[in-house]
Order: sequence, then C-alpha cells, then structure tokens
Amino acid sequence: MIGYDGTIYFLAGLGFGAAASAPLAHCLGERFHVVGIDLPGQGGASDAADGSVQTMADVALAAIEAEADGGPFLLVAHSMGGKVAALVAARLLSGSANVFGLAGAVLLAPSPPVPEPMDDDKRALMLAWLADGGLSEVDAREFVAQNVAEPLRESSEQDAVAQVRQTSPLSWKRWLTEGSTEDVSAVVGVLDLPVVVLAGEDDEDLGASAQPRLLAGVYPRARFVSLAETGHLLPYERPDEVAAEIERLWQTTVEASPQVPAEWGRLIASGRTGTEERGMLARRAIADDPHYAPRAISQAQLTTLRALADRLVPQPGMRRIDLAARVDGDLTAGRGDGWRPAELPDDISAYRIGLDAIASVWPHDAEQQDTLIRRIIAGEPVTDAPWDDDALSLWFEDVRNDLARAWLAHPASLARVGYDGFATSAEGVEPAGFVSLGAGLRDPWEPGDLGTPVTVSEADE
Amino acid sequence: MNLDDMRTHADDDIVDVVIVGTGAGGAPLLARLAERGLRVVALEAGPNLGPKGFTNDEVGAPRINWMSERLSGGDAPTAFGPNNSGWGVGGGTLHWGAFTPRPDIRDLNLFTESGVGADWPVDHAELIRYVAEVERTIGVSGPNPYPWDPDREYLDPPVDRNAAADLMAIGCDRLGIRATDAPAAILSRARDQAHHGHRHASRNLGTIHQGERFGTKATTANTYLPAAVAAGAEIRPDSMVHGIERDSLGRISAVVYRHDGREHRQRCATLVLAGGGIETPRLLLNTGLANSSGQVGRNFLAHGGVQVWGRFDEQQRAYRGYPSALISEDFVRPDGVDFAGGYLLQSLGVMPLTYATALVRGGGLWGDDLMEALDSWRYSAGIGINGECLPAEDNRLVLSDEVDEWGIPRAIVAFSPGQNERAIDEHATATMTRILEAAGALGTRVLARTAHTLGTCRMSADPSMGVVDGDGRSHDIPNLWISDNSTFPSSLTANPGLAQLALSLRTADRMLR
Repeated sequence: MIGYDGTIYFLAGLGFGAAASAPLAHCLGERFHVVGIDLPGQGGASDAADGSVQTMADVALAAIEAEADGGPFLLVAHSMGGKVAALVAARLLSGSANVFGLAGAVLLAPSPPVPEPMDDDKRALMLAWLADGGLSEVDAREFVAQNVAEPLRESSEQDAVAQVRQTSPLSWKRWLTEGSTEDVSAVVGVLDLPVVVLAGEDDEDLGASAQPRLLAGVYPRARFVSLAETGHLLPYERPDEVAAEIERLWQTTVEASPQVPAEWGRLIASGRTGTEERGMLARRAIADDPHYAPRAISQAQLTTLRALADRLVPQPGMRRIDLAARVDGDLTAGRGDGWRPAELPDDISAYRIGLDAIASVWPHDAEQQDTLIRRIIAGEPVTDAPWDDDALSLWFEDVRNDLARAWLAHPASLARVGYDGFATSAEGVEPAGFVSLGAGLRDPWEPGDLGTPVTVSEADE
Repeated sequence: MNLDDMRTHADDDIVDVVIVGTGAGGAPLLARLAERGLRVVALEAGPNLGPKGFTNDEVGAPRINWMSERLSGGDAPTAFGPNNSGWGVGGGTLHWGAFTPRPDIRDLNLFTESGVGADWPVDHAELIRYVAEVERTIGVSGPNPYPWDPDREYLDPPVDRNAAADLMAIGCDRLGIRATDAPAAILSRARDQAHHGHRHASRNLGTIHQGERFGTKATTANTYLPAAVAAGAEIRPDSMVHGIERDSLGRISAVVYRHDGREHRQRCATLVLAGGGIETPRLLLNTGLANSSGQVGRNFLAHGGVQVWGRFDEQQRAYRGYPSALISEDFVRPDGVDFAGGYLLQSLGVMPLTYATALVRGGGLWGDDLMEALDSWRYSAGIGINGECLPAEDNRLVLSDEVDEWGIPRAIVAFSPGQNERAIDEHATATMTRILEAAGALGTRVLARTAHTLGTCRMSADPSMGVVDGDGRSHDIPNLWISDNSTFPSSLTANPGLAQLALSLRTADRMLR
C-alpha cells in the first residue's frame, strides 16, 4: 500500500533543482509524495544535448515515467519549469507519454509558452555573471536577492544560493538565450486543465499583474492568485501558501471526481494502450470545471439537465462527473450519433426545447421526479409538452443515452465495469490482443480484479 | 490503404465505369472490372484512413461511420451511425462484424415457399459459387463439417470461442440445439494478401466494429480494393456524389460530386451505384432517376436483431475475443410456427458503450437499474438473432426538406415491424432465454434491436415491382446498375455482408457479358 494520497511532480525555475521542492514538501507533510525533478544542468544534473524546451520536457517526462505509480498527480512548476510543464501537460493530454493520472497543475510565477518577457538589461546582467566561467557566490546571492520581495530566512537563503551555484553555466546561458525566447505556444495549444497560477505582486515580468495576460488563453480554466509582498521565488518565499493551493486544487479535482485505480492507471500508461486512446482517456479523466459555462444550452437548461442526470445516471457520493456539462460539450462539438427521430428538430434545438419543457413541470421531490420520468418514458401525456407524447419519449431516450454514454466513457467508469479492451491495439506489443478468453480468467497484463491469471504463449503470427 | 501510385483519370475522360461507394457492393466489382481491363473510377464519400487511423475507443471510432444525420420514423425508428453505416475507403466493411453465414436457398425462395415476402431473381447455386470465391479471396474461417451444409468446406479453422460462445454452446447442447463455431471473415491463420501485404492471425479482439488495425478482419480495403488499384482502378476518397447527368437518349453520361469543397464532373459510359440501402435511394430520389416503378425508397428492410442477455456467477467479459463466435442455424425454419422465414442465432459480446445504449434504448433502463445492469455487464453473456424481415411498402425512405452538409435533402426512413417480424422476435426471445437458462443464467434481460439497411431499390423480374433486374441493372436506364444491399428483395436470415460481396462479383460478370 502506498501511504499517500497522490504525487506532486515539481519542476523548478532556472537555477534550481529537485531540492527546491523541500520547503513545499515540508509544508505538505505526509499526504503527498513530492518528487522534485532536476531539469538539465540544474541541481547538479548533467546538461542535455540542446537547450530547447522540448528537450527539457523530455527529461521531465522521463523522470515522471520512472516515478509514476498510475495514481493521480499534479504538476507544480516554477518559472522556467512552468514553460516546461506546459509542454509536459500537452504531451500527457495527447497520450504521447507512458504516464497516466494528470489531475491539474499549480504554476508559480511561470514562464509562458510564448517568448518570456524579460528586460534586456536583466538578461545581459545574468549572462555577464558567466564571464568567469560560472556563477560565483556573490552572483548567486545577488540573483536570489533580486528575486525576493523580503530577504529569505538565513537557512533558506543558504539553500537557495547553494542550488543556484550548482547550475551548469551552459544551461544558464541556454535558458537565457534559447529556452526563454522560444515560442512553443503552437505545440502547447489550449490546455483544458484545472490550473492555479500563483504570482507575486513584487515580481516584475512574471508577476501577478502579468500572468492573466500571458496564460489565460493557454489555460482557460486557470485561477490566478496574487500574493502580496512576494517576489519571484515562490517555492522559498511562500511554501505555505503554495501548499494550501495544492490542497485546495486536490480537493476540488481529485477528491471531487471518480478516480481510476492505480493498477488501471498503469495499464493505460503502458505501451499496451495506443497513444490516441491514452490521450482520450487522459482528457476524460480530468475533473469537470465547477464553473463550466454551457455553450449549446443555457445555464438554466444545464441546471435542468444536471437534475435529470442525477436521476437517470445516479452518482451517489461526493465524486462526480458533470455529465450534463459533457453532453453540452458533445452537442457544441456536433458529436451526434448519426440519426434522430424524424419528429424532432436538430439535437441542440431539441435539447433546448425539451429541457425547458421539463423545467416547467419538474417537481422538487425525488420520488415525484421519478414518477415524471416514468411517465415520459412510457409515452404518457405531460403538461405543455412541446411534441406529441411519443416524440417526447424518443427525445428523452436520446437524453438518457447521451448521459449514460458520457458516464461510461470516463476511464474510472470503464475500470468500474471491468473493461480493459482499450489496451489491445498498440503497435509493437505482442500478443496485442487477448489470449485467455474463458470465464473467470484473465491475461497476465490485465488488472487483478478481472479474474485468475493464465500464463500465455506467444500469439500465432 | 495505399493510393499513392494508382492510375488516375481526368474528369473529361469518358471512363468505362464509375462506381459510387467502396464497400461490399462496390469493391469486388471494381476489382473485377479493373482486372478485365476496364477503365474504372470509384468515388468514396468518406476519407482514406488506413488501419492506423482507426481507434478502438467507442467515442472516437465513428470516424468510420456515416454520421451525417438521417431521420428515423415509424414504430421502431432505425438507429443509424455506428449501428449500421460505413464511411471511408472500405465502406461498411470497415465496421462490419465479419459474421459470414451463407445465404440459405429457402430464404431466396421465400415467396414460393410461404406465399409472403419476395423471391430473389437470383439462382442460389450460382450465388453460392460466387460466395465460395469470396470466402477464398477474403479469408473466411469456419468449422468442417458445417452441420447444416455437410458439403461446404472452410479453408481455415474457426477462430477462438470466447466466454459467451462457451455458454451458448453449453445451453444449446443441454437443449439438443445444434450450434457450432461461426464462419467469420477473421483470419485464424496469418496470410499474405495479394496486393495488400501481411494480414495477422486473429488477436481475439472484441473491438472489430471500431475498425481493426492488424488486418485480421477482412475489409474491402485490405482485399478487393488493393487488387483493384493494382489492376489500374482509381479510388477517389472524400468525393460525395450528388448529381447524375444524362445524354439526349437518357443514358447516364456523367456524375457530379463534391471534393475539396469544389464541384467535379466525371464522365462515364456506365454508372454503378454502391452506396448502400440509404445513400443509393437518396441519390436516385434526389435526381429523380430510375424510378418509373415508384419503388425507389420502398420496402426498407431491417433485420430483427433482438438480444437476450444472461447474468452468470463468473466474469464473462465477452468483449474479449471475436464477438459472435458461435452460430446456430437450427431456427432458419423452426418447426410448428405461424410465421414465414426464420432466424440465425449468434453468441454475443459487445463493447461497453454499445451495451449501455442497448440497455437504455432496447431495455428502457435508467437510474439505479441502469447502473446495476452496467455493473453486471462483465458477468453477462448474450445471444442475438439475425431475423427475416418481410418487405412492406410503407417501410420507406423519402427525402426531407432539410438538407445535409452537401446540400442534399436528408433521408427520412420509416420502419415498423409487421406481424411476421414480431412473431419471429417473440419466438427467438423464448429460444434464447431457454438456452441461457439451460446454461445456468441467474437472470435474463431482453434488449430490442434491429440491424442493417436493406431493400430500398429492390431487384425484381417484373419491372413494375422493383428498381433493378436480377443482374443489378436498372429497369429504366440501361447503363445504370446498382450493386449494394438496397437491391435485396427480402432480408435473408444470413447477415448481408457475404451475400453482398458475392452479388457484387456476379453483377460485374453480368456487366462484362
């Protein structure tokens, strides 16, 4: 048994490595497994072949793959690490890494996917520190001092300075001349992910006032938190506040939505699952936005659809999928099923009309709600129905089907009903499909709750 | 599939034959005509995806299904989309179940036998010769001997049985019902397919309806179409035909289609429509052609597809393995019944979202009952039928006022089962329930369903009774042919794919006469 709720992968800013996660880990306590990652040239790590952000993301993903346990995790990334984290998140959501479980990100004064706004004088000064071949104690102290609002406590400052001094000159130069100026926004795209962005009011280019402009388009669900009397070194300046935001994000995402068991998460992450399928499952596993704004139907209609979903596809307990929001997303994207009852208008119009009609007769009491549902399904008359009774029943059948499929498509639902067929079409894995087909039996790679394992021989070519 | 080096033709060229559609109706014919040296062009509305473009995810998989909306009416509105409609190079064979029983002679002579339905103006022995040729070409696995046809021989052994097949076998055995491994167009042994390349042996995938990446399932895209291209045929994907032009004598002279947002016009000496039971009549109604009989769009047929599911102690997880690995033909003509025709039985494993839809639409479930049924899915095994459907004039496709993304009026399809269909359903439900109970089911559940899109341009010996003759040639326009399942006069108890592939070759040979 693992003794923690989840994992935090920490990507530090320029000058800092895995060890910069220590103050945060201390604040978070036993509940989270904090894994600091050394990006190339940081924290004593060796340099990479080049200075591109993609290469840094490769290193970060390799570290995450090595550590990943299939359970839920957050990315926490500071400054330079924030730009890397954007690429990492994009790769995880597209399925192109053997990792599963991304739940969200907490970004600390992050560098954006576009070229980082950086004062030329500041860049020149930082490059000048390399003139003697490396970062001196004095330069490192100045760097830390420039990036905090108030001086750090003595022990923290010593830690920070020691970290900066470990940075390889090459990686320092590469970030300033290459990585920070790179534009990876097209590769990152838009990441529909629960994200909190924290930044200091006393930071300059990456401070609280700059972040919404830089990142709102990348992370449409981002919540921006402004920290007073805070500079740029949030992992050292504000570990308590960062820890509190991590716990809050965890509570509103991981603890509020169905979770894929870790063994199933490892199967999705494995090479048995195709890249595209892993990406689809990763995106569906993301907790729904509590502030979801419907696009195909109105807010009031969404409320009605949520009420219907509670009765039609019940999800008792605190962990929930916002099925109504997902159906709205499908309607908006035009993802239909290839047909509709001839009596009904197009799907979006039918939903709008139908939900308004339901809202006007929707009782408060659950038992009466069920009675109404039974009447509609049976094709019995309903007050002020927009269509004849059979057509209303047919529309309602679409609603029931759409909600049920939205629920089942979630990877936690697939795990709950015992479906692992997504892990049978990857390239280069043999036997790619199933070998043991009998009742009560499973192949060795299948999750343990699916039966008794049978050792298999190679599939016939 | 690889179309890089294929021979191409200019729009102004008067090619010998244009074929609309690349599924079971269009592809074998395309290959046959190309191999005989004709200049042939196939127009496919959907894309050329290739196996790597498929996904086994049920939400993503409809990229191989015709998803442009159709409108369904009648007492039992037909579900289209992933349920029965193909899209892309390979047509319906991209998503088909590859369940390949042969057409039964009694089904082709249904009217003569029973006085209802329709006879096929097709000689059964001749059709079976074509069927055997198709089986060899695409690779059909099956048991020898075949209990209902001892003379038949399958060249490859059957694919593995899954848990649902095992249970159906137990239940049938206890009741004295004959059942055996199903013939399936799934390779039990790997092979090199001419002009295509290596096709793997079965990987026991239950996801074949979503498109299959290893070539274990035969599609026209890994059999007939590569052969056609090798013989000089051209295939144009993303090309939606919406118009047909005629010369002063009323003969077809060109087809008009949309490709890359532009209008194209391909001249041709002969036109073959192979778009299936919805798109072919839709095109004919929209162009007003070949309908002097008034039969275009009429007699829409949907196979009875009722399912019974049993719940068992152990996890069945019948999404593993070929989904329909067991067959019984004992009920093609059941004893002591008051209906015409009969049905085939097949064991069933289905994918999760497909099952959820069946529970909701076919079982009427919702709320806690639905969630309980979904949780029981892994303990469940099913049996389903393919049941005869008699032609009825009012089961009919007409055009809507609403147009689709190409500007073509959408199809409205009305379907209501008649007395005969209901009687078959009832008999089959009782049979399947008995089998599952005999196999030890703790409880059973009936899920209503229909399958396939047939019959809307039926073939007939009498020109007033149908759209094409027994060869597939239009009664009205001599250089217009139809090669798809819209020509089926009755549904047959056999699933339509294999029969259609065979009919396609037969029509090609008729055209070459």
